[in-house]
Amino acid sequence: MNDTVKPTRITTVPRYGDQPADKLYLPAIYAGIKVTLGHFVRNVLDITAMETLEYPEEQPTDITSRYRGLHRLTHREDGSIRCVACFMCATACPAQCINIIATERTDGIDEKMPEIFAIDTLECVFCGMCVEACPCDAIRMDTGIFSVTGKTREDFVLQRDRLLSHTGAFETEQTRNKEASHD
Amino acid sequence: MSTQSVTITVDGTPIEVNPDRMLLPELLDKGFSIPHFCYQESLGSDGNCRMCMVEIAGKKRPQISCDTPIVAGMEVRTRGESIEKVRRDILELELINHPVDCPICDQAGECSLQDYYMEYGLYQGKVDKKEKHHFDKHIDLGANVLHDQERCVLCQRCVRFCRDVTHTDELCVAGRGDHSYITTIPGETLHNAYAMNVTDLCPVGALTSKDFRFQQRVWFLATSPSVCHGCAKGCAIDIDHAKSKYHDDTIYRFRPRKNPEINGEFICDAGRLSYKETQTYLLRTCLAKEEILADAEALDRMKAILTEDEYPIVVLADANLYTEELAALQAFARTFHAQLYAPLEAYHDPAFGDDWLKSSQRAANAEGVKRLGIATEMPTLNDNTLVINVNHPDGHRTANRIDLLTHRPDENTERVPARLTLPIAPWVRSSGHLINEDGIEQYCEQVLRRNDPTPTLLERLAHFLDKGDDTILDNMETAL
Repeated sequence: MNDTVKPTRITTVPRYGDQPADKLYLPAIYAGIKVTLGHFVRNVLDITAMETLEYPEEQPTDITSRYRGLHRLTHREDGSIRCVACFMCATACPAQCINIIATERTDGIDEKMPEIFAIDTLECVFCGMCVEACPCDAIRMDTGIFSVTGKTREDFVLQRDRLLSHTGAFETEQTRNKEASHD
Repeated sequence: MSTQSVTITVDGTPIEVNPDRMLLPELLDKGFSIPHFCYQESLGSDGNCRMCMVEIAGKKRPQISCDTPIVAGMEVRTRGESIEKVRRDILELELINHPVDCPICDQAGECSLQDYYMEYGLYQGKVDKKEKHHFDKHIDLGANVLHDQERCVLCQRCVRFCRDVTHTDELCVAGRGDHSYITTIPGETLHNAYAMNVTDLCPVGALTSKDFRFQQRVWFLATSPSVCHGCAKGCAIDIDHAKSKYHDDTIYRFRPRKNPEINGEFICDAGRLSYKETQTYLLRTCLAKEEILADAEALDRMKAILTEDEYPIVVLADANLYTEELAALQAFARTFHAQLYAPLEAYHDPAFGDDWLKSSQRAANAEGVKRLGIATEMPTLNDNTLVINVNHPDGHRTANRIDLLTHRPDENTERVPARLTLPIAPWVRSSGHLINEDGIEQYCEQVLRRNDPTPTLLERLAHFLDKGDDTILDNMETAL
């Protein structure tokens, strides 16, 4: 190690547990029981204040626009697929769960598009690297969908058309496109 | 070297250089990194791109190093603030009308513009994308070459290749100033047999191969050095292949590999596209007549036929096999008292040959066959001889035979079904030496490592050979 390099942003945390009161453990146990009993009394008096979510009857309400939900492929303003199959997401993906096969795009809008674009959600770690890597804003995780269900393994491999059918949960594509056109 | 080397100072370090050459090639050979577009080793310098500027002491302005002769004692600076500003400005000029469509460009990842921008550019672009001039995109120039005029930096390597190397003159620069573009001579298309080399020469994504278009991004490709099996010339190639989670090991393209003794930096289009033959119509299962057999069962039957039948045995060897495989076939023939032939007549194709890199002898190891002393004429065969046909194109004439084939038999040719057919791995899935028609020996490493490997010829023959047979190696060493 180079001695001249000073570690920055490292703080030394004081160590506890050397005092006789700490070694007795009883004060700490008492503090814990006090918290538990406090919650118990509060929940018995008012059952609606309980933090437990009765899922699936009750749905979570704390999913914000920053939540990384299931992926979607976005559309251009004319409604066609935005993805150009540049493989940036597949390159960035640490789980290697994106399978793309590119093909020639013949509608004159662009030259390239994905023929197959499949995300294996059983292998996906929902890290959001694909969204970061995309140079075309073609893949996003803003659907707010947090649960994937299926009966076979194949059900969990989301194909291109399924990904295109997902909609954003937090803003419409029109507003987003407007923002993008100002750049 | 006839001339005396001289000493010049580059970035403060004195180095010995050859004064007969220009400054840029000498500096590149010495390991200095200087950006350049129009200079190319085989084509020389043109001095049009202005990218290779260096500072020379005593000269008022930066000079293009590709066209500057070396003078003893000159002081050159390839780094420094002012030279980097010059490079950045030239790069900015090249990129004014560039569409920056790297996501759909096949050159992305091996593009000089990208590399230089990351190394010397990194400026904030001043041109709005909407104000850029637009030119034609994906124009089919012919011969599998697509042209994108927007991405072009007008280095004219392609024009010079067609003018100076193939002497076919199909390409030219049309227009003037910033309206210039590369196009074919009116009424012509690219049509020479080496045209696809321009896609390698092009430093940017202006000329790309139609065959490789959108097949794979280049950063996924692994490169293995090998040798083209298209003809006896034995051009050195790099094989680009990729194996991923969703796709088994697949070859995506052949590119020329520099070998000044054989092919320089080029290969013919036929050789470049011959990668397809190594992975289509492959034979995967053992057959008895038309019926599918398990591998072990087929080997047992082959052993039984070889040891029990009374017929004299003739082995017909493909002249594309590696020297090691041919030597093993010699040992095999010795073990079973068989006659070994590698008839070369079937590989003669006068229509293919030319006076540069295409040989009318289509067998890649014809010279190796001759050096091992294997008979090259076609023996007279009938059904009283047992023929072991090792992938020979003319080996399917008689019924009493065992086939060892890489590819499925062509259904269009009239073919007597063999008693037994066993698959062997094509050349990209095994390794060995080849000797080209000029006697130059080259090694081909194993390129593909598939999840479903087919046994190589050596693995097949190992079941029949005495492990302690040293004569195989001795024979091969004499040949090499």
